[in-house]
Amino acid sequence: MTTVALEKPRRKRKVPPVVWAFLAVPALVELGMVFWPALNSFYLSFTEWNGLGAAQPVGLENFRNLASDETFRGAFQNNVIWAVGFGGLSVLGGLALALALNRPRRGVGLYRSAIYLPMVFSLAVTGLFWRVQYQPDGTINTFLGAIGLESLEKQWLADPDTALYAVLVAAVWRQVGYVMVLYLAGLKSTDPLLDDASAVDGASAWQRFRFVTWPQLRGVNTVVFAVTVIDSLRTFDIVWAMTQGGPYHSSELLSTYMFQQGFTFLNLGYASAIAVVIFALALIFIITYLVRATKEEAA
Amino acid sequence: MISAPLSRRGFLAGLGGVGAASLLGACATGSDDSSGSAASTTLTLQSSLSDPDPKAALTKVVEGYTKNKTTLNTIAIETFRAQLPTYLNSGNPPDVLTWYAGSVARDYASKGFLLDVSDLWTGSGPCANFSPALKELSTAEGKQIFIPTNYYWWGVFYRKSAFQEWGVQVPTTWDEFIAVCKTIKSKGVAPLSMGTGSTPWVASGWFDYLNLRVNGAEFHRELLAGKHSFDSAEVKTVMDHYRQLVEYIDPKGRSYSWQDAVTPLASKKAGMYLIGAFISSAVPQDQVDDLDFFRVPIIDPSVPLAEEAPTDGYFASAKSRNAAGAKDLLAYLASAPAQQQFIELAKSSNLPTSPTVDTSKFSPLVQKGIELLNDSKAITQFFNRDSSDELQTTADTALTKFLDRPGDVNKILTEWQASAKKVLGS
Amino acid sequence: MSTATLTPPAVDTADEAPVNRRKRGWGFHAVMAPLTLIWVAPMVFVFVLAFRSFDDIAARGTAAWPTSFSFDGFSEAMGRGAMGRALWTSIQVTVPAVLLSLLLASWAAYALSRFNIPGRRLILLTMLAGNLLPPQILLIPVSRVMESLGIYDTLVALVIIHVGFGLGFYTFVLHGFMRSIPAELTEAARIDGAGPVQIYARIIMPLCRPSLAALGALATTWIFNDLIWAITVLRTEAKLPVTAALLNLQGGYVSNWNVVAAASVIAAVPTAIVFFAFQRHFVSGLLMGSTK
Repeated sequence: MTTVALEKPRRKRKVPPVVWAFLAVPALVELGMVFWPALNSFYLSFTEWNGLGAAQPVGLENFRNLASDETFRGAFQNNVIWAVGFGGLSVLGGLALALALNRPRRGVGLYRSAIYLPMVFSLAVTGLFWRVQYQPDGTINTFLGAIGLESLEKQWLADPDTALYAVLVAAVWRQVGYVMVLYLAGLKSTDPLLDDASAVDGASAWQRFRFVTWPQLRGVNTVVFAVTVIDSLRTFDIVWAMTQGGPYHSSELLSTYMFQQGFTFLNLGYASAIAVVIFALALIFIITYLVRATKEEAA
Repeated sequence: MISAPLSRRGFLAGLGGVGAASLLGACATGSDDSSGSAASTTLTLQSSLSDPDPKAALTKVVEGYTKNKTTLNTIAIETFRAQLPTYLNSGNPPDVLTWYAGSVARDYASKGFLLDVSDLWTGSGPCANFSPALKELSTAEGKQIFIPTNYYWWGVFYRKSAFQEWGVQVPTTWDEFIAVCKTIKSKGVAPLSMGTGSTPWVASGWFDYLNLRVNGAEFHRELLAGKHSFDSAEVKTVMDHYRQLVEYIDPKGRSYSWQDAVTPLASKKAGMYLIGAFISSAVPQDQVDDLDFFRVPIIDPSVPLAEEAPTDGYFASAKSRNAAGAKDLLAYLASAPAQQQFIELAKSSNLPTSPTVDTSKFSPLVQKGIELLNDSKAITQFFNRDSSDELQTTADTALTKFLDRPGDVNKILTEWQASAKKVLGS
Repeated sequence: MSTATLTPPAVDTADEAPVNRRKRGWGFHAVMAPLTLIWVAPMVFVFVLAFRSFDDIAARGTAAWPTSFSFDGFSEAMGRGAMGRALWTSIQVTVPAVLLSLLLASWAAYALSRFNIPGRRLILLTMLAGNLLPPQILLIPVSRVMESLGIYDTLVALVIIHVGFGLGFYTFVLHGFMRSIPAELTEAARIDGAGPVQIYARIIMPLCRPSLAALGALATTWIFNDLIWAITVLRTEAKLPVTAALLNLQGGYVSNWNVVAAASVIAAVPTAIVFFAFQRHFVSGLLMGSTK
């Protein structure tokens, strides 16, 4: 794994036509299915269109309306909470579990399997699993009642104060195992002798992690970062399966709001404007990731 | 494998030459030619009847239609609701769709989505002998665009044996009703069940009825048409009444769908449930005979009695590739035998729209429902059906919020008016 | 787990007394055992729920201790709920989509990694960036494009969109792997007269097998678990893949928790199988392609 193929730049050689074809076909598929539609979305975001006839250009009006749309602002806020909560909790949880379960001892295999089993379920399945738990008479409330904490019983998915977090917990539950597996693999490629040597030198556990293990995890971090960001931007299914954005938009994310505007209200221009905002948010992550990826490519 | 990307490349190149504005228009209309040839023989019936019994019933009814090959497509109702505009708007829409009569159908007609089916309403057409009220309900801009096949009533449903146990009588006035709620609550039972979780529209039931009882059907229709404001004094009075109910509504209902909320009623953990007659298909079979209902109590005796009687049925898509076939299917669905077969198999308490169906053998509950509607001076449909599916979402937001925070009612009504104005203005 | 055995034996540190270690072992299990139990509880609970009878659930609630055992939930979900058909649909979508994605991605990766294509880094990163785009920005135009191609509401449309949308990432990962294949291997073949296609088919692809397997496993779970594309380009009940069918079923069997639970179990099983079968590839291959 550590074999870095330090290739010298190849001598200039003519690229055979068949190789151009090898590149052109996939590139065109992606162009047609990804970039072309994305461009259309940008165009649509400056129009008003209900799907019939021609789209009416309206300039920046959609974006102006977004600025004064309270549901949109709520969804935007929720998205920030979501990105931070989902990314932060699953990375912290996954890393902590990976560190705890890294060294072989009795039971570790069992613990690992149990924790990463949820990651194979689709978000819709996860949503249904948790909807059952969150029912008013479901396991969570029953459990709270059984240990004498009736006061904490809640309508988890129907209470605007808890709905978003209830969905978040379900999503993190699934993601933690994912991140843990990635870190476990990364830890395996770290050099245990280094860790032990520094322990002999009297480094504390935190110091050993910070200065010995963490730097060796750089490569994994990139992957974890990519997987987490991709998954967090794709978040739609689990909200759709659990609350559809309700109660009264309290668990609305930009993606669910966009879906509602686009497919239920047929405000295609307005929905595209929301999509553009999602894109702008994503761009921050995309650029960060690409910069890292470029560095690695160059390394 | 290579041919697909290549043909798309051709497609993209073709598009690239035109300006972007006409492009998407071209996409939307261009599909008419490209896929037109394939789908003209088979009819598609897109159905929102996703509960097991009604779904099985419609499947059976459609099996009886042999003139054209017909595919029944059942999509869960809440998904269907969210996607209906997209279905209608697509280049190759389903031929026939289940939905509702009234303003909601007119709303889609005004967008040019619906097929003119006026000829089914004249001469020897299957709907020619339907009541004038039904015809009016199915008409948009002088043309009929809807085929009603059944309707039902709303009422406050309860279990007779439960009322006996608790020693309460059926109330007829508002004060009596509140007293009944109080008594039931004192027994440790939630007086009112209401599933507003995944089916928030249920909350509009009480809103509609209280508005009908306080301000009357005329005002209600005008309000939903945007001629009055949701933060007007009249609506505030309605909400004052609604507020009296809040403490009696089972708080768990906020997590339930309308179907879930039937369970507490059936197991006597809740007392009453204002809901449509379709409830009978969600009640365990052995309890159907114990189920009864009463009219939503009178608040102001001077207001003419009005009831909600939502009408279900079908419309056809204007862009159907086989308009003649679609109409033929509609005619079959509207026929008396098909109506009767559907109602019996669906185990609902719906009433047929065709006057030739013999209703005398229907259950006592249904007879009582017919009576209820006959006594009323005005009929409304339901919030979304009297307005639009889009306005319904504003009601869902406002009313579920109100149920959580009844104290914020004024603020909520102001917000409601603002979002309603946006919907009605567009 | 097999992964554990690959770890080099931990070297005991000198300064830790055995007693101390045992105590830490207890502390470890005291934290991990309950945590793991909490972790699996939702799954166990849904699993148990799936085997309860409707009457039991209706009478005593979803959280009660089960007093019944029945397959009604499963038979209803497979029968009228048509989960079996949905599984088959999902396979019809997933298999071609995964194969096609990997094939096309390997072409692009081969061209970009082994040949001196001008601007290849830019092309690669652009393709990757396309995969990182939020799908929301594509939904409306994609459904329109599918309509204009006359394939809206067909499984072909779903396959194409999965292929297009996943390509960038797969290409990026495969590119990383192909680049690490020593030039001497292909050079020798080239001198023997092999053309670029032969080199691709006889040398590169066989060497890529581990990372193809890894990406295949990853792509399978992604595509199999997809919901948003399915509900965007499909509207026919009989064509819905598992995830969408599950939601559809949930809408129909609203308070029949045993049916809903059984259907979720049915939807969860295939990905679980794929995951455990490819587990080792799944993780190692992914890292192989992306870390140096």
